[in-house]
Parts: sequence; structure tokens; C-alpha cells
Amino acid sequence: MWSYIQNVVVFAFVMGSIYLLIALGFSLICGVLRIFHLGYAYIFPLTVYGTWMLMMTLEWPLIPSILGMILIQFIVAILIYKGMIKKYLATEDVLLTALLLVALIVEQAANYFYPIQAGVYLETTLAEGTYQIGEAVVPKQLMIGSFIALAMTAAFVLFFIKTKTGMAIRALSQDIYSSKIVGINVETLYMFTMMIVLLPVIIGMLIVAPVWSVEPGMGWMYMVTAILVAVLGGLGNIKGTIIASFLIGLAHAFVSFVLGEPRFMNLSALILVMVILVIRPQGLARSESLW
Amino acid sequence: MVDLELKRDRIVIRFGTKKWEWVLEPRYWRNTLIWAVILFLFPTVSYFISPGLINTMISANIYAAIAMPLALMTIGTGRMNFGPQFYIGVGGYTAALLSIAYGWGPLTTLPFAILMSMIAALLFSPLVIMARGLYYVLLTLLLPLVFLEVTFIYTDIFKGDTGLFGIVPLLDTGNAKNNFLFIGYFSTVIMFAYLWIINKVLKSRYGLLMAAINDDEDVAHSIGVNINKIKIIAFVAASTMVGIIGWFYAHYFSSFAGITYLPLTFMLKILLVLMIGGRAQVFGCVVGGYFVAFLEMLMIRFMGPIQPLVFPIILLILLFILPEGLFGLYRKRRYREYLPTIHVRR
Repeated sequence: MWSYIQNVVVFAFVMGSIYLLIALGFSLICGVLRIFHLGYAYIFPLTVYGTWMLMMTLEWPLIPSILGMILIQFIVAILIYKGMIKKYLATEDVLLTALLLVALIVEQAANYFYPIQAGVYLETTLAEGTYQIGEAVVPKQLMIGSFIALAMTAAFVLFFIKTKTGMAIRALSQDIYSSKIVGINVETLYMFTMMIVLLPVIIGMLIVAPVWSVEPGMGWMYMVTAILVAVLGGLGNIKGTIIASFLIGLAHAFVSFVLGEPRFMNLSALILVMVILVIRPQGLARSESLW
Repeated sequence: MVDLELKRDRIVIRFGTKKWEWVLEPRYWRNTLIWAVILFLFPTVSYFISPGLINTMISANIYAAIAMPLALMTIGTGRMNFGPQFYIGVGGYTAALLSIAYGWGPLTTLPFAILMSMIAALLFSPLVIMARGLYYVLLTLLLPLVFLEVTFIYTDIFKGDTGLFGIVPLLDTGNAKNNFLFIGYFSTVIMFAYLWIINKVLKSRYGLLMAAINDDEDVAHSIGVNINKIKIIAFVAASTMVGIIGWFYAHYFSSFAGITYLPLTFMLKILLVLMIGGRAQVFGCVVGGYFVAFLEMLMIRFMGPIQPLVFPIILLILLFILPEGLFGLYRKRRYREYLPTIHVRR
């Protein structure tokens, strides 16, 4: 019994933090731009395969490749914002279809240039081995990753509460028209948001890349997790996102360790979300603003 | 007493208080008839020239036959369903499991597939009343993924990893080429039946009410439209029509695997048929279905392994340069009827 509780608590914390990294960006886009970024799945393969491409074709070392990949991600995000989101904000059916297509194109490009047998592997291991916490055994990489996730989230929260830019973004998430009146540059802030939301996802992906499997189609799975967390948390509220990601982490840990059926992991999370949405259709968070 | 009246463009038949009209004016039906004849001649012609084309035609008909109910559902519920393939799964698995377990033929499994799709649709129909905007998109997006998970968890029943095999085929004449020809005609019949029914519904009084709901649900409610009834009927009827396509797939391929139809990529193809064809217009769905299926076939034939990458790029470009879809190019020169708008955010 005691071992079950230890395992569930430790893994709920670790998985919840990783899910938080994956879902934070999605939730922020929902909150600020008020759109549903169905192309979110493209960020995951682009992180891994972009870095790998720079390492292979230009023969750069790991760190410059990662920096180069972040630059590429920023450019792609700006292109997506300028070319699609800004143009088709009013006709969302086109926008969602186009964003889904972008994710598909990136996945297929990764698959074409580096198919799964190419053996893509990023050496982003921070620490080898495992930690023994009571009865639970956790890979060091994931444990360190979850603390980075918490630090990253704290930094985001502080940014939104303490800085003027953060406050402007929060104002934007509440009312675009009023924000324009008080002189907030909506365009620039939208683009800025599109770029900063990439950071947690990229860091999260680099942390889990050596531990979990890497394949071109991995983005869809992560995007489903991000959607679940964002919906459960109330589409765009950071408080809700934090609670929701740990709830889903808890559900996954419970199903894996107490029921002993890791196959039910995703299903349990989906059912949890559906049940909570029936009870509270607006999600866990009380307000639709960012914080 | 039957009363016949010949007018300039139509014959009006009256019987008691009932009235039927038969439109004679060619501009109303000429083009549709020409296309129908071409589509009915196509399988026979390709039977002698290139039988492989019939296969592509079947895919095209079926894409159109999934997109048309989706268009009806989108207009009738005023919401964009991102998971119509869930009902392909329901209909297909019902037909496949019954056929494998009891050795039933397609005619016996059809009522059960319809019934199961209807029950599943009724079960999830409260969604169209409860959920709005992005939450509806999300919930419908997640439903097929839940189903896909279930097929992998209960793999002893659904065979999520390998797919179900040994389903009684739709037709067996003893000659594979003839089978293709007949199934080609059958798929065309399904497509035209769907086209006729949905076009009739959208042109009727119910179509008008649906259009009102699609434009503004609250206003429609305030002028006395029973919005819940119409939304649920549109949702259930369209879902059942999609379920029948699942039954067709199961018996046509004699095998059924959820992984082919349930993921987002299959839904994306249907969504593109709907969008590139002509933004939720029924005739546009047929154009879109044929365009997407034949473009895909040509690209697989001539481009080789880079096809999966170039195909979505072409579709993305078309999505941007055709604001009213391919059918919109034709409609531009004609009288404009109601043009549905698709709402996601509301």
C-alpha cells in the first residue's frame, strides 16, 4: 500500500510537470490569441528533427544546433502567424484546417528525410541513471526535467504578473478592443506570444527526447495531451493548466501503478476530461483570463 | 381528382390538397444530368481501359459520401464536427464483428450498423446542445481518439494492432474485375442517393430552419424555431449516414482496422474534401471528393516516395487560393442561393 502511494505521488509529480511543459504553450495560445492551435503538433518533430538536421547537414555541435533550431522555430512561428492566423482569424474553419495541414507537412517532411530507421537520437541527457525515492525509481533525466518545468512555469507566471509586457498580454487576453484603446500594440504582442510559447515546448521536448521514443508522428500524441490539459484547465488559464496537468499526471500514475494497466493511461485521461467537462463545461479555472 | 397543369417551365400535378411539381426548364437539371451520365459511364469505360481507375472512383465516391453528411451536420447543428470518422468506426466495427462472428452477409449486417450508429449518435447528441464553440470542436476531436484507444486496449475483440479480417465481401461474382465494376456502380449509387437526399433536405423548409440555426442559433430560437429538435435530428441523421459508409468500408475491403480511419489524418482528408470542394456545399463535396481522390492517385503513381509530403502542400495552397472551393469557381457565374458559413469559435 505504502509503495503504491509513493509511486503514484512521485510519478504524478514527474509526469504532471512534463505535461505542464508540453501544454503550457497550447494553453497560452488559447488564452491570448483565442484560437485553437491545431498545428501545435508540428513543434515537437521540428524540435528534434530540426536539431538533428543542423547537426547532420552543417555538422554543428549540439548546442549551436539547438540554438539554430530555436531560430528556425521562431521564423516558422512568425510565418504561421503572418501567413495564416492573421489572415484567417475570422474564418476559423480555413484556419484550423490549414494549421492541421502544417502539422501534417512537417511530420511528412521529417518522415521523408529521416525515416524511423535513420536512428535519430539527440544526446541531450543531463544526468544518467535513476533516483530511488522511497520505493519509487525515477530516471534522473525526468526528475531534473520536472524541476526545470516548475522553474519555467514559475518564470512564466512571474513574467505575466510582474512585468509590463506580461500585464499587456493579460489585458489582451481579456479584451482586445479595450487593449487597443489603452495603446497596446496587439500585432507585436501576438507575435511575441507565438514565439515565447515555443520555449517550454522546445525545452520539454529536448528533456524527454533521450528517454521517450522519437518518431515523426510523435507530435499528434503530445498535442492530444496538450489539448486535454488545456481543456481541463479551462482553455487559456495558467492556474487551471497547472492544476489540470498534475491531475492528468495523477490519473496516469494511478492507472499505471494501482490498476497495473499502463494501456489504460490515455483512455483514463480522456474519460476524466469528459466527466469534468460535463460537470463544469468551462473547465477547472474560474475565469477565462490568463491568470 | 388529379389535376394536370402545364406551365411555362414546369408541370404541376394536383391531387386534393397535395401538389407535385416537375421542373422542365433545362437549366435547373441539365448540368446535373450531364455529370450524372458521365459518372455512370465512367466505370464501364475504365473497365475496358484501366480497371484500376474504378478503385479510385470508389474512394472518390466514398469521400464525397462522408463529406456530404458532414456538410449537412455542420449546417444543421451550426457547429463544426471534427470527428465524423467516429461513426465510420462504429458502423464498420459493428458490421465487421457481426460478419466475422456469425458469418453474416452485408445485407444482414446493414440494419445493425445503422442501428448502432444511430444509438451512438443519440448517445452523443446532447453535445450539440451542451457544448459550444471550441469545446465542441475539442470533444468531437477527442471521441474518435478515445475509440482508437479502446480498439488497442481490447485488442482481443477489435484487433486494434492487426485489424479484423475475414469479413464477408460486399459482392462476389467470381471475377475480381467484375466485382470492382459492380462495387463502383454501387458506390456511385450511394453517393447520388446521399446527394439527392441531402440536397432535398437542404432545399426544404427544414433546410431553411437549419440555415437559420447555422447563421445565428439564438435568433433562430427567438423566432420560434425548435433548435434542439432540429440540431439533434441533423446530428443523428448525418452520423448514421456516415456510419453506413463504415459498413461499406468493412465489406468492401473484407477487413477493417480502426487505425486507418480513426486518426486525425483521415479526418483531415475529409475536411479537405469539404473545404476544397466548396465550403460545406453538397455539390462541392462531390467535386472535392473526386479532386482529392484523383490527385492523390496521380501523385502516388508519378511522384513516388515524396508524394506524402507534396500532397498536403498542394492542398494547403489550394485552400488559400480558392476562397469558395472548386465549386465556387462554377457558382460565381450563377444565381447565388444560401451560402453556408462554418462556425468554429462561437
